[in-house]
Amino acid sequence: MSEKTDRPKRMETRLPEKFMPTINYNTCVQCKRCVNECSFQAIDVRDNKVVPKGGCVACGRCIAVCPTSAIEIRPLPSQFPPHGNWTERMRRGIYAQANSGGVLLSSCGTDEPYDVIFEDILLDAAQVTNPSIDPLREPVETRTYLGGRPGRIEVCEGEHMKLCGGEGPIIEMDMPIMLGHVSLGSVSYNTQKALFMAAKELNIIAGSGEGGLHEDFYVYADHICSEVASGRFGVNASYLKNTAAVEIKVGQGAKPGLGGHLPGEKVTKLISETRMIPLGTDALSPYPHHDIYSIEDLQQLISVLKEATEYGRPVGVKIAAVHNVGAIASGIVRAGADFITIDGFKGGTGSAPRVIRDNAGLPIEVAIAVVDKRLTDEGLRNRVTIAAGGGIRCSADMIKAIALGADIAMVSTAAMIAMGCRVCQQCHRGLCPWGIATQREDLMARLDPEQAAARVVRLFRAWNEELREVIGGMGIDSVESLVGNRDRLRYMGPNPKIAEVMGLKTVGEGWG
Amino acid sequence: MSRASNPLPKPEYAYGAARPAGSTYLMGGCGIAGVMALDGSTISGNRIGSMLRTMGERENGLGAGYACYGLFPQHLDEYCFQVFFDDEEIKKRVEEFFKDYLEIHHAEKVYSRPVQTMTPPFPKIWRYFVTPKPGKDWFGNTQLAQDDFIIQVVMHVNSTMNGAQIVSSGKNMAVFKGNGYSYEIADFYDISRYSGNLWISHSRFPTNSPAWWAGAHPMSVLDWGVCHNGEITSYGVNKKLVEMNGYKCTVQTDTEVVSYIWDLLVRKHKLPIQAAAFAMAPWTHEEIATLDPDSRKLATWLRIAYREAFLNGPFSILVGRSQPEITLIALADRKKLRPMLVGKSPDDRLAFCASEECAVRTVQPDAITWTCNAGSPFIAQVGKGIIRAGIEHPFQGAKQ
Repeated sequence: MSEKTDRPKRMETRLPEKFMPTINYNTCVQCKRCVNECSFQAIDVRDNKVVPKGGCVACGRCIAVCPTSAIEIRPLPSQFPPHGNWTERMRRGIYAQANSGGVLLSSCGTDEPYDVIFEDILLDAAQVTNPSIDPLREPVETRTYLGGRPGRIEVCEGEHMKLCGGEGPIIEMDMPIMLGHVSLGSVSYNTQKALFMAAKELNIIAGSGEGGLHEDFYVYADHICSEVASGRFGVNASYLKNTAAVEIKVGQGAKPGLGGHLPGEKVTKLISETRMIPLGTDALSPYPHHDIYSIEDLQQLISVLKEATEYGRPVGVKIAAVHNVGAIASGIVRAGADFITIDGFKGGTGSAPRVIRDNAGLPIEVAIAVVDKRLTDEGLRNRVTIAAGGGIRCSADMIKAIALGADIAMVSTAAMIAMGCRVCQQCHRGLCPWGIATQREDLMARLDPEQAAARVVRLFRAWNEELREVIGGMGIDSVESLVGNRDRLRYMGPNPKIAEVMGLKTVGEGWG
Repeated sequence: MSRASNPLPKPEYAYGAARPAGSTYLMGGCGIAGVMALDGSTISGNRIGSMLRTMGERENGLGAGYACYGLFPQHLDEYCFQVFFDDEEIKKRVEEFFKDYLEIHHAEKVYSRPVQTMTPPFPKIWRYFVTPKPGKDWFGNTQLAQDDFIIQVVMHVNSTMNGAQIVSSGKNMAVFKGNGYSYEIADFYDISRYSGNLWISHSRFPTNSPAWWAGAHPMSVLDWGVCHNGEITSYGVNKKLVEMNGYKCTVQTDTEVVSYIWDLLVRKHKLPIQAAAFAMAPWTHEEIATLDPDSRKLATWLRIAYREAFLNGPFSILVGRSQPEITLIALADRKKLRPMLVGKSPDDRLAFCASEECAVRTVQPDAITWTCNAGSPFIAQVGKGIIRAGIEHPFQGAKQ
């Protein structure tokens, strides 16, 4: 017997389908558009008839393109014997790992049904003693600044007073929203372009992600926050100076404690040029920055980046929300950061190991509250801007995040959904049928940057309007008086200890 | 006198803040009144008492108070502590503590008399003229200036010694307040026995906080005294700012933070009064955009740096201080959700501030009155007159 045949045969377990496209042949006109559009090849043609083939991820592209609305995607009932402990999810994970021997990847944040603390919090509303303010009749301001704050300023007296010291680089935004970092490579050129276009139109900031910045996007420089990640991809003087702010990425909510990985097959010519790496090679960001093993090291890098940008841009640090986040944030401010971005558990647009994504981190609601409290206790809160994201789904989440202590809500997945993303959690496969998380030319072409940008603009304008309605309803006429104003929140959830940690009164408690 | 005959100049960028024609009655909560002798003469407590009593609809008997400035010219360099005690035991404890940290130059019981309509218990009220003990540090902190040392003493007593509250701690001033109607408190202390250069006062219609003796206005720290009508919706944010700077909020009302913010911004950060007022009631960004470049820059950075000092929500406040000069400040919120009227006597001898015009007319029928622009402070100083009418450019005339 040859050596080859001695090797044990690999036994693949074929798993039952989870979703099934069903086609109504009464209305199907056999145009085959669904077949061409399904990048997962879950629909085929047999005997000149469109039929499901298997592998459907419920991305919904076929439904969207069918001219006769003949397609419906049905979740299939579980084909596994019922068991309360060995859930279908557990068993599928085991089969997949027994097949591959690898780390399980998924995208778009954890899909485990964890409680959302935002939903346990109720907002306050003004009544008689504190009258509400109608934003249609009165100014209700949402302008927000990103950057370091001096704590105090000097004013020269004279016939007219003047500012005589204290100012620094700062970015003015029309609303307290920042588009989170999604790198070119994890998403397509058109996706990133749409995000930058939207940021410019809204006068807010969008993150570049860790993949450098394509020269085409330098025109959006005033609305881009660049990212310096451990891989240092694309980081050069031109990149740093062609953005409005610089952010050192230490961690991210979807995979706290981990670095980044863009597979070689996604490193096209465009990506290789932008990231300054060879074509087709894996872009691996190590877990730590190999020049940062302490707050003192971080301080040095912050100083270097300030020097490199001639002290003209705010320099911030992004961390994942972890259990000691308050003390870490304090160290970051003391190291000279102008802003801190906290990325919460449940965050993440791109791919991450499932075991980390589902089990590591801290809900952003709690992280914001403890950071805000710690910095206040240490007299540092008025030195820094806090951006927070990772699980912000709607304007109510954003408003609660601000009242808990964030200056700026960082939002990514909601922007992707506005562009068309159906949260099928398959970004890591690079087959995104909506042209968002892919580098395949034919798929990329499906996303029109202008239309996508317009959708993002409309979404956040609507959120901002809702913000104005809510704070006006609280009797507040400027969003800065909501930041960290936990008096305007009450906790109605099941765990009073969480309310205590977050510094929230519970429902029914009055002022004094 | 009508607004049309107001002799004060109206700059081209001033708002029209006159009450609409035909509107003669505006219901509000709390009454505030202040009167200052601009020429340095003294005013009897009777005058402020009648001003405040005239606005009887603005109170419900749950607190009133008066602060008098220019009260102790014979003790100009000593801090005057007026202290509420629940009983002799706590008084003894506090006095022991005082002796460790302060030189007590004089101590006396504050005069009070029973008022039939007021329900006991009443606190024992004592007055101490003190200075920091030379060479004594504050728990190892040797860097404190005298004023900061005094603040630490006040915060320590108010936050840790239950049953004692230092209700005023400034030089050349004192606060007389309690739980009752304005006329009851005036009777209780017999404020007619006091005369000073400046009085501010408050009658209370509390809605969000308990009615207790120390919770009545004016709220005071060092020589700052603040009377407030309204509700500060940004209280949580404002509290963060003062706590970050070592102040302790112990009185459970939003007005307390306002007095600390004045102390922080003007005394510690050395902002001119107008700049501090702008930080507390800033112009909108849209309005700031219309300013000249220097003023625009200053206004923007006041909003950025002192975001936590922004008093949001409805308020009108009267502020008094005695150091370095006896000063009266009146400020309304930037939307003017609470009333505030200012005025002066035709001979420029007296300045007035009140929630309602009747309060001024009752003591000075021929007063010249006007309203300030939203967020724009009225400032008057003994010996200098009205240095800011409240309708000027926000950063004009900063020289004090």
